Amino acid sequence: MFRYIFRRIRCSSLKNENDRMKNGTAPEKKNSEPLLPSLENNIRAIRENLRGSSDLAVHEFNFGHDRRYRGAIVFISDMADKDEINKNILQPLMFGSLLISSDADIDYTKIDNVARNLVPVTDSRKVALLYELLDSLLAGAVILLVDGSKEALAVRTGKRESRSIDEPATEAVVRGPREGFNENVNTSIALIRQKIKSPDLCVEKLVIGEKSKTDVYIVYVKSVADPKLIEEVRKRLDRIKTDAILESGYIEQFIEDDPWSIFPTVSNTEKPDKVAAKILEGRVAILADGTPFALVVPMLFIESFQSVEDYYTRPFLASIMRMVRFLSYIISTLGPAAYVALTVFHQELIPTQLLISIAEGRERVPFPAILEAFLMIFAFEILREAGVRLPKPVGQTVGIVGAIVLGEASVQAGLISPIMVIVVSATAIASFAVPAQTDSGTILRYIFLALAGIAGGFGVILGLLVTLLHLVSLRSFGTPYLWPIAPLNIAGLRDFLIRMPLWMLSRRPQAIVRSDGNTRSQGPDLMPSPNKGGGNDTV
Amino acid sequence: MILYKKIYVFILCFIMLVALSGCLGGREINDLEIVIGMGIDKDKDTGDILLTAQIVNEKEAGGASGEGGGGGGKAYWNVNSIGKSIFDAARQITHKTGNRLFVSHNQVVIFGHDVAAEGLQKHIDFFLRAHEMRPTTLILVAEGRASDIMDAKPETERFPAMNITKLVKTYGFTSHLYKVNMKDFATCLMSGTSATFAPLVTVSQDRENKDVFVPGMAVFKNGKMVGKLSHDEVRGVLWVLGKVESGVVIVPSPDGKGKAVLEIVNAKSKVKPEIKDGRIIFHIKIEEELSLSEQTTRENLATVPGFGKVQEAAGKVVRQEIMAAFERSKELRLDIFGFGEMLHKKYKNEWKIMEHNWDDIYPTIELDIHVDSRIVSNDLLRRPASPDEGGE
Repeated sequence: MFRYIFRRIRCSSLKNENDRMKNGTAPEKKNSEPLLPSLENNIRAIRENLRGSSDLAVHEFNFGHDRRYRGAIVFISDMADKDEINKNILQPLMFGSLLISSDADIDYTKIDNVARNLVPVTDSRKVALLYELLDSLLAGAVILLVDGSKEALAVRTGKRESRSIDEPATEAVVRGPREGFNENVNTSIALIRQKIKSPDLCVEKLVIGEKSKTDVYIVYVKSVADPKLIEEVRKRLDRIKTDAILESGYIEQFIEDDPWSIFPTVSNTEKPDKVAAKILEGRVAILADGTPFALVVPMLFIESFQSVEDYYTRPFLASIMRMVRFLSYIISTLGPAAYVALTVFHQELIPTQLLISIAEGRERVPFPAILEAFLMIFAFEILREAGVRLPKPVGQTVGIVGAIVLGEASVQAGLISPIMVIVVSATAIASFAVPAQTDSGTILRYIFLALAGIAGGFGVILGLLVTLLHLVSLRSFGTPYLWPIAPLNIAGLRDFLIRMPLWMLSRRPQAIVRSDGNTRSQGPDLMPSPNKGGGNDTV
Repeated sequence: MILYKKIYVFILCFIMLVALSGCLGGREINDLEIVIGMGIDKDKDTGDILLTAQIVNEKEAGGASGEGGGGGGKAYWNVNSIGKSIFDAARQITHKTGNRLFVSHNQVVIFGHDVAAEGLQKHIDFFLRAHEMRPTTLILVAEGRASDIMDAKPETERFPAMNITKLVKTYGFTSHLYKVNMKDFATCLMSGTSATFAPLVTVSQDRENKDVFVPGMAVFKNGKMVGKLSHDEVRGVLWVLGKVESGVVIVPSPDGKGKAVLEIVNAKSKVKPEIKDGRIIFHIKIEEELSLSEQTTRENLATVPGFGKVQEAAGKVVRQEIMAAFERSKELRLDIFGFGEMLHKKYKNEWKIMEHNWDDIYPTIELDIHVDSRIVSNDLLRRPASPDEGGE
């Protein structure tokens, strides 16, 4: 008993990822057992632990030039590549060993000898404990057991089934790389490595989830990221105690700063170039196996309004588009509220001709404006939800029917005023201009609308005030959410409403990076001009 | 469980708050009677106030929705009611409209001639006091009854009130009148010494279709309408006040065969009062810039001597206009130029003596008018569109 505990402690200090996993579970005594020298016993133990699972494949064979040794390979039948097993494991073992005429000094009951002499694969490791063996087996490895050995060899074979590297549907760009992460986290990390080919790029692995045992990676650039931030990320990830991480959203919800806030404090993306750009600003990315969505912390409010394309295109239109996004967010949250407040409480603020037009449109409408607005927004939410889940052809039908019924017929029938249709559709379109804040925008829209219906402009201002107070108090991994506006940072404002040219963005976000990683190599002296540098000026 | 119950109760309260509240003074647009113009007359029988409110008729206004529009109905509805005061009448009107009037968008207030002659001081109070009223509402005086003006259906505009607003707001093209709103009117009224103006409005009856137009301005003394100024007289006043924006000056051409028509491009004025040997003299210096917009003679006026002669003639016209206004004001015994205020500013002590019999002193003052007119442009033509007489 003491020996088990002792070994477990030693083991866990060697591989803290496994240790983390084990601490969570109620320790199963059987699993922490070492492997036995007997092949039959080991196979029986595996079978027992997997509860006689039918996809467990066990193949026993003899090897050695005189077929003296007995071995077995054990794998989960659909997770391992059978061709590779045959070619790279079984064949060399069974026939390669024949070629070595004298094996007097080679003892194949020692798994090291087998690995060195007979198994021509790169990705293999020794396992000595039953639970280690099971973990590897369930992760898709092929286990090579040899009779008489207290250790086994776990060989990773084949490729995992995974999607090709496509352009992410949610983050399509006009200009910029069209690659996106896929569900295989190793591919995702490789994609980031291809962007940042520097030893500075650190990748740390963790395993989270008692049942799912999901591989989770922390990725950061060491010379830029604040060590305190990295430590905080580790700490928060360590705290997660859950059955399974099926998507990075699970992690997000466990590590958020303010789980009750409607504003997200963890950003996510499918694009490797975006992750690269963010970790180069000192942020930390968290990638989980099984999902293309990487998390990036800390998240600032202004990040929602920045797009990768802002940096890939020249700064002029990019700046205008950024302002358009800010404006869209304001429209999407305040549009219907402003309409209700103006038409119900502050009619004197509407220009006379417009007021007459609105009055004409509302002439036959039987509902109060607030109810009208709620009905329309709600109908739009239904349409959106129905359209998203359905297959494309059906989804289009829903869209068309909805547009005709809601936009045309309801106005014709005198249920909704035409101006309200315009307000709600403008709001709906605007809400998609800022994807990262669509959630908060939708919720705020309802809240502000209710406030406008109760107390008009006064209510809306009150709501805005509370929202602003909340935003100012919000933090994401220690970074103030509203940076660089509150607290004000002049250098940070260069990449706020207006995106200054790249050669002027010589400072990384001060609130995020480590204290000595503030300056980029790019700087104002890099302002392009034909007379600078040794360039050839002849045309 | 208790927590959940609390949340449910809270949500329920919130829903009830939205659904059941009377909406803190909110009013749906459907319930509004949007007033865009008001006319105030004296009722012939009782002598009370007859209020005519022009209300937008949403059903007939025929908006962009297409259906229901047109139908030949009027886009507006002139409702009237009689009351002891304007506010009384405005409340009495609810017996006809079913809703109280929404006057925030009132564009114009037209006073009937008999009301204006009686004095506007007592009526102005309501318009300044009511919080829904805008101080920028225009004031006009009808030559006849205000309700007739409200009934004259304009050709292009949908609403008579809007049409009248437009007539007044475009005063800059002629400088034959200028717009006066509630605030201006009240300020003038309160200052005491200077005269108060308001554009006149009338309906021409010469054709089968009634046209509303502005024939000049009404002049008030102590809130009572005492006379009218013609277009030229109004401009005479505006020259002195430096409020001329643009307009047309017509002078006979130097050869006497036609006319030169000039447009005012820019005008400035400077008035300096002087008391010398017991005489009160006002030195009025006017600088105007003109452009030659039209000529009906064959002689080319766009030459240096031609311009010189035309400029001189234009200066004469301006002088005539000012003098005409001055003569008119002497007739009315009313300081329409605001000379009294100017004198007050420069000669404080003397003014104290004159203040009380300024009306008597006013007709004795002298004007020293100096007009500096310059033609700055001859527009697109360098010589008249006529066969060359070999003049050059």
